[in-house]
Parts: sequence; C-alpha cells; structure tokens
Amino acid sequence: MSTRRALQLVLALIAVLVLVYPLLTSGSPVYSRLGALVLLAAIGASAWNIVGGYAGQVSVGHAVFFGFGAYSAVVVYTHLEWPPIAGAPIGMALSVLLAAVIGVPTLRLSGHYFSMATIAVAELVRVLSSTSEFLGGAQGLSGPPVPRGALDLSFISATPYYYIFLIVLAGLLGLTWWIERGRMGFYLRAIKDSERAARSLGVSAGNYKLQAYMLSAAFTSLAGSLYLTMFGFVDPESGFGILISVKMVVMAALGGAGQLLGPLIGAAILVPLEELSNSLLGGKGAGLTFVVYGAIIVIIARFLPSGLLSLVERRPTAPNSAAPKSTGKPVSGHAD
Amino acid sequence: MLIEARSVTKAFGAFKAVDDASVVVEEGEILGLIGPNGAGKSTFFNCLTGDLSVTSGSVHFDGIDVTRAAPEHRARLGLARTFQVPLTFESMSVLDNVTIGALLRHHNARDARTRARDVLQRVGLGPLSDAPAKSLGTPGRKRLEIARALASEPKALLLDEAMAGLTPTEVREAIELVRRIHGGGITIVIVEHIMEVIVSLARKVVVFHQGREIARGTPREVTGDPHVIAAYLGRRKVRT
Repeated sequence: MSTRRALQLVLALIAVLVLVYPLLTSGSPVYSRLGALVLLAAIGASAWNIVGGYAGQVSVGHAVFFGFGAYSAVVVYTHLEWPPIAGAPIGMALSVLLAAVIGVPTLRLSGHYFSMATIAVAELVRVLSSTSEFLGGAQGLSGPPVPRGALDLSFISATPYYYIFLIVLAGLLGLTWWIERGRMGFYLRAIKDSERAARSLGVSAGNYKLQAYMLSAAFTSLAGSLYLTMFGFVDPESGFGILISVKMVVMAALGGAGQLLGPLIGAAILVPLEELSNSLLGGKGAGLTFVVYGAIIVIIARFLPSGLLSLVERRPTAPNSAAPKSTGKPVSGHAD
Repeated sequence: MLIEARSVTKAFGAFKAVDDASVVVEEGEILGLIGPNGAGKSTFFNCLTGDLSVTSGSVHFDGIDVTRAAPEHRARLGLARTFQVPLTFESMSVLDNVTIGALLRHHNARDARTRARDVLQRVGLGPLSDAPAKSLGTPGRKRLEIARALASEPKALLLDEAMAGLTPTEVREAIELVRRIHGGGITIVIVEHIMEVIVSLARKVVVFHQGREIARGTPREVTGDPHVIAAYLGRRKVRT
C-alpha cells in the first residue's frame, strides 16, 4: 500500500505543479508558451486516444479534423468577422459529420487498411484545401491581427491560453475517464482485443467504433480551433499536414495508448523535445522532426509497445473488488 | 423449437461447404453435431451464430427469422457461443472478460461485475477472477469463454469444440460443467470431435459429411450407421 500512497502523493504534486506552472514561469515567455503547447498537444492526442487507443482503431488521418477546427475558426473571422472561437462549434459539427461519412465505410476495414484509408482522406482534403480560394489557398488564412475584444481570445502572454487549454483538457479527460469506467469503455476495449468475440456477446462493434470515432473527431476539431486562437494563422500544412496526425499517434503511443494519462505524458515529453530541436536548428529543423518521430515510432514499437505508463504497475481496481491476487504465473483453469 | 435451420447452404465459390442442411434444436435439449474433418459442421455452426451468412436457406431462432441478422443481434436474442480457438480478451482480467458478457443484460458496469463474479464462482473460475486472461492455459480459456457466454444469460449455448486440446480429466470436468449448465435450463448445441463427449452428453446427434447431413438419431444409432462408419473410416473397396 505504501507504493500506492507514494504514487498518490506524486500525482498530487504533479497536479499542483500543473496548476501553478504559469506562475513559476511568468518571467520566461518561452517556458510559459511551452506549457500551453504541451496542453494543446495533449488535447489533440487525448482526443485521438478515444478511438485510436481505447477502441484500437488507429487513425493516421486525424489532421483532417484538426484542420476542420482551425479553418472553421479562421473562416468565420475572415468571411463573417466573428471571433474565431465561434467557429469551434461549427468545426466540431462538421468534423462529427465527416467522421460519420468516413467511418461508416472505413471502420469495416481492419487494422492497417483503416489507417491507410484515414491517411488518404486527410491528404485528399489537404490538397483540396490548398486549391480553395475560400480557404485562402496555399497561403492559408490569418485571424484578427489585433484583438477586437475579449472574445477574440488573442493574448500576448501565453498564460491565458494555458488555463483555457487546461480547462478543456480537464473536461476531455473527465469525459474519457467516465467513458472508460462505463459500458462503452468495456466494450471499446473488448472490440480492440477481439471484435469477433465482442460481437458474439452482443456488442454492436460497428456502432461503438463509430461513436468513438465521432467523439474523437469533435475534440480533435476543438484542438484545431484552439490552435488557431493562439497562433492566429493556418495554412494547408499546419492544418491538414500528415505530421499533425502522426504527432497525435506518437504522443499517445509513447505515453500509453488506451490509458487516460498516456497522451498527456507523451505530449509532455515530445513537445519540449520538438521545441528544443526547432530552436537549435531553426527553420532547417522542420525536416528533422519527421526523422525524430520516425525514430521514436521504431523505439516504441520495439521496446515499449504499451507505452511509458506500462512501466508503472497501474492496474485499475474494481470499485467493489475483493482483490484476491494472481500469482502472476500461468495458471490452468480448473480450480475445482 | 428454439433453433431451426432450413435447407441451409453455404458456398465458397463453387464449393459447397454446407449443402442443404436442415436441423431443428428443441428447447432444453443437447444436440451433438459430429462429422469427420472438413464435414462442414463448423461452417454450419457459424451460419447459426451469424459469423457466416448463408448462401441460401433460412435460420430461425426462438421464432424469429435471423437469417440476415448480425452475430450481435442473435446474441441479444439469447444465442451465445464459444470459439474453436478461444478468443478471450487478452488485455483484460478474467473478471473483466466475463463482465463484457454480463453487460448485455446489465447496463450498469457495477451490476455487470457483480453478475460476472457470480458466474465465475459457478464455473469454478472464482479464485482466478483477478488474474489476467492471458495467464490462463487452454482449459482455462475454454472455461472462461463458457463463463463469458453464460454471463450474457443466453437461451442457447453453442459450443464449438469446447473440449479440443483438453486432457481426459479436463474433458470429464468440462462435461460435468456442460451438464450443470444444461441443468440450469439452457439449450446446448455442441460440435465435437471426441465421441466420448457426444455419447455422454447428447441424446440427439446429427452427423455431417461433405457438407451434407448423413445420419441423425441417438449416439448409439448413429455410431452403428453404415454411412457414418463409411464417412469416418472409408468404404471397403474391392481391388481388381
């Protein structure tokens, strides 16, 4: 029990640290911005985790939803002069709709085929967006150059973004936690382990996968809209680029896909790494990011298929668990 | 009758794995489905559960036409199954595996878990509840699949070679378990290679050979049937 106590203490400490992080870094704009970026990436990766981690449907095209969110935000500003954040619900609705349209035919595909289909859709949308006048073509679109009011959510300091992202992330993780413990969480994990067995027990695998995909799409889109409020600019590459999709996958996988805090941990490691490589190498580092992510994918696949969290023994115990434990050794099933 | 398959044919291209098979399972009985390798009994079994769709013919369950129904719909109507090669949920504990089954009738995860503990006690897996499913050996997995299916509170339980790969002692234990389940009012359909299992469990047996039904009756009747003997051992031929 003492290790558990220690773990709780560490978690509490981390929680406090997360809450006061901007105060600790208020002297340094670089670090305070870094905190906000970690949280934003964690929102995207946690959204991906719902369908990619829990349901095991590895989408490598989530950039399409991220881009929908970012572009929706900037489009309502450019064409209607609304505050960008007003585009967030529109982006979410469109993303859910698109997820349904993509998901119905492609979620029937198994494994890699689903992943490839999602890449194809995202790339198609990226190419289309760069030819669209409405979306600003290859140049992209910019948000309000100077804030017209508080609703524009345009701040010089990163601290307000930090707290906005923190609230959204907390809400998303709360929702995920609730799903994980309920019927849907059980069913998603069952589908991930064996879809055929799950269906034999009455699980409408198709429906559950689709629901997870749509929910995931909605929050990924929200991450895109939030991205736009902070960066004030989006073009086809920063909205729909394949690297966006890959980052979500890698962050979740590094921390632990299908684990509540996995994506957050992955983001907390990878975002600082990426910022560091960017500042050391400047613009030339852009290509290197791909190399780094490629290397990380290989390392995870080879040495840590369940992510960093698997290193911490973290078996969720049942609410009414009487907990006689296993010996850990293979056991045969006839105990009588 | 609980299950009624009428002239079921399942073709893969030109090959008819099941050819015009009609089988009726009465409520409360144990029906054995036997036949040599490649006889089409597993294919037929999967047509009953919905894992395969029939090429022609119909399947009724509990008075409802389920010919085009997906496996999950049939499960909801009360048709549960196990798999020839166990498909346990490997990342979960034994208890969580059974909870998935129990969630079919208990929407609340806590209720489902309570129900799952109950079932695990009944099938003798109680002490292993918290063990990871992947730590179980073949007999344990087979038993876990049965527990999972039972937790879904089925009317009929379809066992696809539930005894394959078990030692004689384990087979006897498994037979005992199936008897108890049947005693609880659940109709059983069992596909099996091992004659001992069929003889000791089923009163009615259907024999498949090359996709067709070649005999039916009590185990004693079918084992004495010349067609069945020929299917298993081959026909005596006169050399010229």
